[in-house]
Amino acid sequence: MTQTGPAATALLRNTLQRVRAERSPLRRSLDRALLTILATGLGFTLLLLALLPLGGPETFALLLFPINLIVYLCAGLLAWFHRPSNRMGALILLAGGALFLSGAGNTEIPLFILLGTVAASLPLAVFIHLFLAFPSGTLTGRAAKMVVATAYATSILLQLPSYLLLANGAMPGLTIVHEPELAVLGEHMQSAVGGAALVATAAILLVRLRRATRSERRVLAPLYGYGVFAIVVILFSTRFFGAMLGWDGIAVAVLQLSVLAGVPIAFALAVLRGGVARTGELEELGAWLGAAGDEKPAIAVALARTLGDPSIEVWFWMPGHGAYVDVQGVEVTADVDAGRGLEVVELDGRRIGAISYDNALMVEPELARTAGRVVAIALDRERLTAELRSSRRDLQLSRERLVEAADAERRRIAQDLHDGLQVQLVLLALEAQQLGNGGGASLDERATALRMGIDAAATELRNLVHSVMPAALVQRGLSAAAEDLVDRMPIPTVLELDVADGDCPPVVESIAYFVVAEALANAVKYSQARSIAVRLHRQADDLHIEVLDDGIGGARPSAGAGLRGMAERIDVLGGSLAVASEPGRGTRIKVEVPCGS
Amino acid sequence: MRVVIGEDEALLRRGLELVLGDGGFEVVATAADAVELERAVAEHRPRLVITDIRMPPSFTDEGLVAAARIRAGFPGTAVMVLSQHVQRRYAVELLSDRAGGVGYLLKQRIADVRTFVGDLREVATGGTAIDPDIVAVMLARARLADSAVGALTARQQEVLALMAEGRSNASIAARLFLTEKAVVQHTSRIYDALALPVDSDAHRRVLAVLQYLNAD
Repeated sequence: MTQTGPAATALLRNTLQRVRAERSPLRRSLDRALLTILATGLGFTLLLLALLPLGGPETFALLLFPINLIVYLCAGLLAWFHRPSNRMGALILLAGGALFLSGAGNTEIPLFILLGTVAASLPLAVFIHLFLAFPSGTLTGRAAKMVVATAYATSILLQLPSYLLLANGAMPGLTIVHEPELAVLGEHMQSAVGGAALVATAAILLVRLRRATRSERRVLAPLYGYGVFAIVVILFSTRFFGAMLGWDGIAVAVLQLSVLAGVPIAFALAVLRGGVARTGELEELGAWLGAAGDEKPAIAVALARTLGDPSIEVWFWMPGHGAYVDVQGVEVTADVDAGRGLEVVELDGRRIGAISYDNALMVEPELARTAGRVVAIALDRERLTAELRSSRRDLQLSRERLVEAADAERRRIAQDLHDGLQVQLVLLALEAQQLGNGGGASLDERATALRMGIDAAATELRNLVHSVMPAALVQRGLSAAAEDLVDRMPIPTVLELDVADGDCPPVVESIAYFVVAEALANAVKYSQARSIAVRLHRQADDLHIEVLDDGIGGARPSAGAGLRGMAERIDVLGGSLAVASEPGRGTRIKVEVPCGS
Repeated sequence: MRVVIGEDEALLRRGLELVLGDGGFEVVATAADAVELERAVAEHRPRLVITDIRMPPSFTDEGLVAAARIRAGFPGTAVMVLSQHVQRRYAVELLSDRAGGVGYLLKQRIADVRTFVGDLREVATGGTAIDPDIVAVMLARARLADSAVGALTARQQEVLALMAEGRSNASIAARLFLTEKAVVQHTSRIYDALALPVDSDAHRRVLAVLQYLNAD
């Protein structure tokens, strides 16, 4: 163990370095920004520490301000760091800022006293904001937005009378007129409106708690509970502990500040615990899914935003190729290198794609899995759309070529009948007419000649019919028909059969037959081969057709109408055609057609 | 000679009846499908059955299946199978159980009435008649695969083809304008070249030649 220790440490260090090196640029930028915020926050804390009049009896209470500040700073940054897409971290930092301002009122610097006076009630408004924005960090619903707006207005605007209308207030320099009665009225108004905002907040949270699932409640209930406790302590501790139990102001302040320090910790824990945070993030995905088709940004963008990882890539699974392709359709290797995680997305048990993410950013792979499940249908749709778009054009072209091919075939038959049989029949009719007119040769000889002429015409018709639809294919099936083809080859041809007649649907057998016929006809015409082999065998659900010769090669699939026609026919059935024909190395035509019966 | 005809096309059935009547055959029954044909054969026990391969209801090879069953069930009945298109596999199948009393011709051979009727008599008397088209396929195949057949002279190949069609020496001589003696010389040289056992029986000779040509 002692020997492997250093090696393991080195490995760990290397891995860490690699992980760090492979973080996305945006992620590194976020890290720098958070570090800057930390430094700035610490700077302000130090400033506050330096300016606070320490040394007196309230030293302990005053010290709680910078301590609270650090707690808010750390909790906010931690939440932001681990959940970059969640705004709760930023909100916690905002609350810290509000706390700093209200704390600044305790210094002896006039400007800071001014700020502290103006923002004295701001922390309460920010708390309301925090509770209503949890878990995603954004306010949802009109009521929540209005309550938060009211809270901010109350804390800033209704705070005005306390220093503008009181000569002996916190900031005598700001006093416009001394109107103590109006000032008291303002204070009551602030209490009333602020109280109403608090009640409204409690009502909204209660509704949310009732709508939440059990697992969500496990996160929400303690958080809300602490929130109620904190607000009750802040609002009533002066009256209860101070007035009724006779605590001094310092003790009450210490209690209030201690309770306040717990708030960011409660929020940060709730955000990081995830149960509710996940719904908050997936909420966004849900909104994306619901968006109208054309306005919807690419699935990768939506996922990147939801999962807080800008380096997210979405890959589509191509079952035919057994590989992933990215959104551009370029094949990607699914090797999961260090630092990158891969979450396979499945729909109804079949693989449809994958999400590639930054391991460092994905604190919980479970989140990627859940997100994958949420977008599975959309992912499949996007994949199908991409596939469909590309195949639509192919299909159109293919259909045109099929129509052309059928047309060309009809022309050929018409031409053959017209040039051959029709002429022959006219001549035979003439001959029959002359039979009665008498002439040189004996009647018997001329009748025989006529019979032989008709025989030849019949043979031609039989060959034509056979070329359109061979009798063996109809009567027995592919193997019998292929055997008949090979029987009539002028070049030694070996037939390897591993398929029973009727194994495949008639249309597959028919196309397979014409593929073999075309390949053999080409071999006879062009290959100069000395031997040919035809292999037909069934492998799983596919019919494999192989025709190879030892001829001169050089066949081009694009050149001959025959080979192209073959490719079309195979394509219609969802099969594949491969032609290998290097000059001097023979020709090998390989066809695979789904035979699924 | 009593004959039963299996043919689904009425015109051709009637034409065959006429040809056979003129040729001295007695058509005792005609059938338009394979089931009817087998029933008629069982009832009339004819000397010869003439059947089309392709018949209702499926228009595939029920005529051939019926022919095989008739040959198995009624050894005294010869079968002539007719088809629009002939193929080697069917010939091999027809000859597989036993040679003799079997024929396999293209439908259009009917037009050469004299030869057709001759072939029918040959088959009815235990001979064999295989269509020249198939024999040509068999010979071409054998020439490519077997140097012994390829080494035969053109005349010998002609004789071999006629032997495979089931012709007697006299018939071969008449067709090739040779004397029967010359034909015998050719046949014995062919036997030597192909290392076939000499057999004077014409019926068995056909089988030997066809087996040789169709060996894989």
